[in-house]
Amino acid sequence: MECAESLRVQAYFDGEVDALSAADIERHVEHCAECRALLQDLEQTRTAIRRDLTPGRAPPELHARIRQALDQETAVNTPRPNRWGRTTWRTQPFWVGALGGIGSAAVAATLAFLVLSPSITNPLLDDLVAAHVRSLMPSHLTDVVSTDRHTVKPWFAGHTDVSPVVADFAQQGYRLIGGRADYLDHQRSAVVVYQHGAHVINVFSWSASRGALPGNTTRGGYHLAFWKAGDLEYCAVSDTGWDELLGLARLLRDLSSRDDRE
Amino acid sequence: MDDKRGRFEAEVLPHLNAAYRFARWLSHSPGDVDDVVQEALLRAFRGFDALRGSDVKAWLLAIVRNCHATALKQQQRRAFVPLPEEHDPRDGYAMIAATTDPESASIRRDDARSLERLLSALPEEHREVLVLREIEDLDYRAIATITNVPIGTVMSRLARARAGLKARWLTEVEGERRGVR
Ligand SMILES: [Zn+2]
Repeated sequence: MECAESLRVQAYFDGEVDALSAADIERHVEHCAECRALLQDLEQTRTAIRRDLTPGRAPPELHARIRQALDQETAVNTPRPNRWGRTTWRTQPFWVGALGGIGSAAVAATLAFLVLSPSITNPLLDDLVAAHVRSLMPSHLTDVVSTDRHTVKPWFAGHTDVSPVVADFAQQGYRLIGGRADYLDHQRSAVVVYQHGAHVINVFSWSASRGALPGNTTRGGYHLAFWKAGDLEYCAVSDTGWDELLGLARLLRDLSSRDDRE
Repeated sequence: MDDKRGRFEAEVLPHLNAAYRFARWLSHSPGDVDDVVQEALLRAFRGFDALRGSDVKAWLLAIVRNCHATALKQQQRRAFVPLPEEHDPRDGYAMIAATTDPESASIRRDDARSLERLLSALPEEHREVLVLREIEDLDYRAIATITNVPIGTVMSRLARARAGLKARWLTEVEGERRGVR
């Protein structure tokens, strides 16, 4: 019923695709009446919402209440930091008792991943995250879909000059789902794609020619784990936890060093 | 401490209106919105020390969303059933864009009320992504952060929200107008 490209067309409309994909999508829209109509609908909905629903503002009483609450918060806590620098709360909002684990855990998780985002720019890191995000778009994940390393590995030989280690670690929870060729910092790279639970892990690899490899880091909510093996550099990118990501990195490193010995 | 308060006012309070709007769209009972927003700002203040150079708006809206969920749970425990019909769309965020032509102003007011009502009637998980995208103008990544789902889910929810709104708009608003003529 719906054109398979509709989510990509939407992403294009929302300014979420790079120039290359944009050109690709524009070509598609040219000869797909359904997607042309979709673009029109998207535009109409946006115009109606932005024209008719003018932004609301917090009432002045709320501003006042919040400032007062902050005053209280500051007054209460200044004298009582404990030795770990955390503070003991004396006043509690009316529903703090009901907070339980889930809500606060989710806030903590959100906090943790926002806090870990460094603000420095590094084209390689930017490219890695952009390529990972792009891969999550429908039909962008894999060029070769296979759970068989004997299919994925030779595929790279024909499509990149990089020959990374490829293996299925389904038993350890990392299912091989395919491979892809991508560009990173103007250099060809081979990407091996794994699935871990509901998460996709992209393992990028490229010829080790640049300077020092960046340290493991978190960017835009995604963890990036780097390592070097043989004449290749690797980076695994995902929104899994660090343990899960480093678990796959360890398996791949072990495999590389075993290959070297053989 | 004063320095923290100063930085908080400079970096976080500018997003208070966004926090308020988002809480309004999430909530079916307007009376609780102020409490949710105040609690969110307090929590944000407490967690502010740990926040460094990231998207403050997305961070604050994620906290608002959590506070809303908690308040909702609390409400349900008090067996309070929210009545969305009581919610006056002219109140707060649904003010009508200024226009000089009185006739088109009145049509627009009707349109705005319908649009407001249709948007409120969307399932919450669809409504929130649409509000964050179209009203708060956030990108997929920020929306994924706030709603705590993968980007792919944001994309499919957004598509369903937009299609749902369009379909309801067509059947209701256009149908009514044709009926009047
Ligand atoms: Zn199409």
